[in-house]
Amino acid sequence: MSSPAEIIVERHDDRLVARLSGEVDMSNATYVREQLLASMPNEASGLVLDIAGCRYLDSAAIEVLFDLSRRLARRRQELRIAMPPDSPLRRVLELTEVRAAAPVYDSLEAALQ
Amino acid sequence: MLGRQETLAELGRRALAGAPPDELLHETAAAVARDLGADHVAILERTGDGRGLLARAGWGLPVGVLGGVLPPEPERLAHDLGSGSSLTADIGASGQAFGVLEAHAREERRFGAEDEAFLQAVAGLLGAALGRARHDDLVSDSEARFRELADTTPALMWMTDAEGDVTFVNEGWIHFTGGGASFGASAHPDDRERLLDTWRETSRERLEFRCEYRLRHAPSGGYRWVLELGTPRYAAGEFVGYVGTATDIHERRTMEEALRESEAGFRELADTAPAMIWTTDEAGLVTFVNEGWMRFTGTTLEEELGESWSLGVHPEDAPLTLSTWQEALAERRPWEREYRLHHHAGEYRWIADRGVPRYVGGRFVGYVGTAIDIHERKTMEGRLLEVYRQEHTIAETLQRSLLPERLPPIEGVEMAARYLPGARGAAIGGDWYDVLERPDGRVALVVGDVAGHGLRAAASMGQLRNAFRAYGMVEASPAEVVARINRLVMSGVEQVMATVLYLVLDRETGEVTFSAAGHPPPLVIGPGGPRFLEGGRSVPIGAADPAVFREETAVIEPGSALLLYTDGLVERRDAPLDERLEQLAAAVGPADEDLSGLCERVLGSVLGEGELSDDVAILAVRPLTVAAGRISLTLPAEPGSLARLRRRLARFLHGTGASDTEHYELTLTICEAAGNAIEHAYGPGDASYEVEVTFDGDEVVATVRDFGTWRAKRGEHRGRGLRIIEELMDEVSVERHDGGTSVTMRRRVGAERAA
Repeated sequence: MSSPAEIIVERHDDRLVARLSGEVDMSNATYVREQLLASMPNEASGLVLDIAGCRYLDSAAIEVLFDLSRRLARRRQELRIAMPPDSPLRRVLELTEVRAAAPVYDSLEAALQ
Repeated sequence: MLGRQETLAELGRRALAGAPPDELLHETAAAVARDLGADHVAILERTGDGRGLLARAGWGLPVGVLGGVLPPEPERLAHDLGSGSSLTADIGASGQAFGVLEAHAREERRFGAEDEAFLQAVAGLLGAALGRARHDDLVSDSEARFRELADTTPALMWMTDAEGDVTFVNEGWIHFTGGGASFGASAHPDDRERLLDTWRETSRERLEFRCEYRLRHAPSGGYRWVLELGTPRYAAGEFVGYVGTATDIHERRTMEEALRESEAGFRELADTAPAMIWTTDEAGLVTFVNEGWMRFTGTTLEEELGESWSLGVHPEDAPLTLSTWQEALAERRPWEREYRLHHHAGEYRWIADRGVPRYVGGRFVGYVGTAIDIHERKTMEGRLLEVYRQEHTIAETLQRSLLPERLPPIEGVEMAARYLPGARGAAIGGDWYDVLERPDGRVALVVGDVAGHGLRAAASMGQLRNAFRAYGMVEASPAEVVARINRLVMSGVEQVMATVLYLVLDRETGEVTFSAAGHPPPLVIGPGGPRFLEGGRSVPIGAADPAVFREETAVIEPGSALLLYTDGLVERRDAPLDERLEQLAAAVGPADEDLSGLCERVLGSVLGEGELSDDVAILAVRPLTVAAGRISLTLPAEPGSLARLRRRLARFLHGTGASDTEHYELTLTICEAAGNAIEHAYGPGDASYEVEVTFDGDEVVATVRDFGTWRAKRGEHRGRGLRIIEELMDEVSVERHDGGTSVTMRRRVGAERAA
């Protein structure tokens, strides 16, 4: 039984929005990273990753966020994260200093500003 | 005319009555003169030496003629009398001629053909009477009997003497023919020769005489077909002649003529028809097959006549084909049969053969039949049958694959399910059951029944089953799940209708929320006995759009089992639903019965011995009582086990009343510890790790135990994992022992809210 996760990608002007939902853990984290990178066009200015629909992220998933940020930076592309302020995941993301990898916004709208 | 017939009848009767010859001759001469309006009538008898003619009798003859002998020259008397017109007729037709009967008139062209015929008839009668006189003594007895018979029968009758001369015709004959005494004289010219030939041949051998010919019919002025039958007569062992009858067979004969003609036309038509046509006689023997038939079989007409057609019937089809034909023939019923007939190309081809009895004038004369080549249709039927079978196989395979015998195991519930296909042939129904574990730790149960049978119903069932899995995973509310699926179904092209019971069970609390879309209620088998969960009812899926779907919540006591079922279990035409539901409730055993046993018991006692009119699916589920506040698991050391661990933890933590954040953080820390065990503790090969979690009402204590060496802080995210564990737990301890490593983590639940 592997963890179910879903990625929905759409263009938003010159940025790409990816909604990540479900559960990401060590069993599917690498796959999620590859899918996101493959979805990124070279001409896009950045990626907004909306994790409002995520029920579960483990340390491997958080590692993916750091890795993604580094790779995009090399392509001069910016990573932003959107997450509701009341998400059960918030404390873990703060604890692991995800903000060091990418700015975290309270909503997708805010991230797109 | 009638006068002349009366004359002939009178003369006949006088002759039969034994009038003396001379008297008879004179009476005859007078009658002929009267009836023909002749001036002179003479009856001349050939003399013994044949050299002269003795004037035996006469009427209006000059004095001196009677009793005198005339030279045997034709028209001698006519000349002497100075007649303008004359008629003569020989007396005694064959062999021994008696003499001549002559009628003369001064007027020219006084006599016509009818007059001549009359004279012939009279001459014949006289010949008979005179000849008869010679055998009078011998034949008087039989004569008398014949006379009696002749007078009381409407048939035409006649008699001859031993020489074959007609000695008697009855009234009927005279009336019919208008006076022709000899049947040769009154026969149709076309038939006369044949008649006389037959007569000569038969009488020479003194055999039964039989001939059908056209006899002059005076009343209509034409000819009618008669059947003449003659039997040799014997008196005192001596042949004395024939007695015969003529029967009017004109109707039958013309019917047969018409039939022959129409038959000729029929055959001509039949030969140009593309169909295969045949006829038989009344014994069922083939009398004709058309060219269509011979083109098919490649045989000749001669080969097909009689019974030999049956040789061409395929050996497998022959017994039934022939027996049904014989049965139909015996009862003169129409016959119809599809069978394989040998085709000239060498193979057998299917034909549809049909025969009906023929009647002519009310008489059964045989059968006429037609056959058509139906080989293509027949083999197409075979192919369709094959397609039909294939569809069943597919439907059955589909049904089986969609309804596995064994449900996938779900942590914390005991389950059993049964599916029985309906007895209507091999019809596969649209019933299904399914169980899935929701992300929130609850278990969704569904039992449904798609209307219809066969491949289509099975396919629709598969789609609905998947739709329930999909919506059941994301939607928490049963009514919402059902409403979404209704919308999905109504937006589709194909019309699908289904009744469904969808129920979500909280394994820990026993809380059930359900929606019954046109479906009978679920049964709870609790320690206090069985009860149905009422409410949450709405219309079936696919029945209306928009439709209102309701849900109902209830709590089942610990140790209870749930029984979900489809209509097929409880719906019967002969009993109201309430009664059937009572019967179902009465059938269940104690609450703690093994679920497979429960399924068998219910199917056995509710369905009984009778045939299933519909298919039946039942699903029994019982939440296992959780040892209060404790999990103990052994899991395989692979990343895939983490999801299962999370499901189990979700159930456990749900019972602790932890908040969403506590739930997530506790799950994360325990899984991080498990992840370490999986990632670093082992080399290749099968291995496992153990997780034990307890909750004492206040604190959650989790221990993850592996059997390798826990190498800390390898890789950045592993370091992050350890940090997470340390930060989120109140207390973490790691114990290394010979066999491996144990991590024990503690955290108070509700502390976050308290803080």
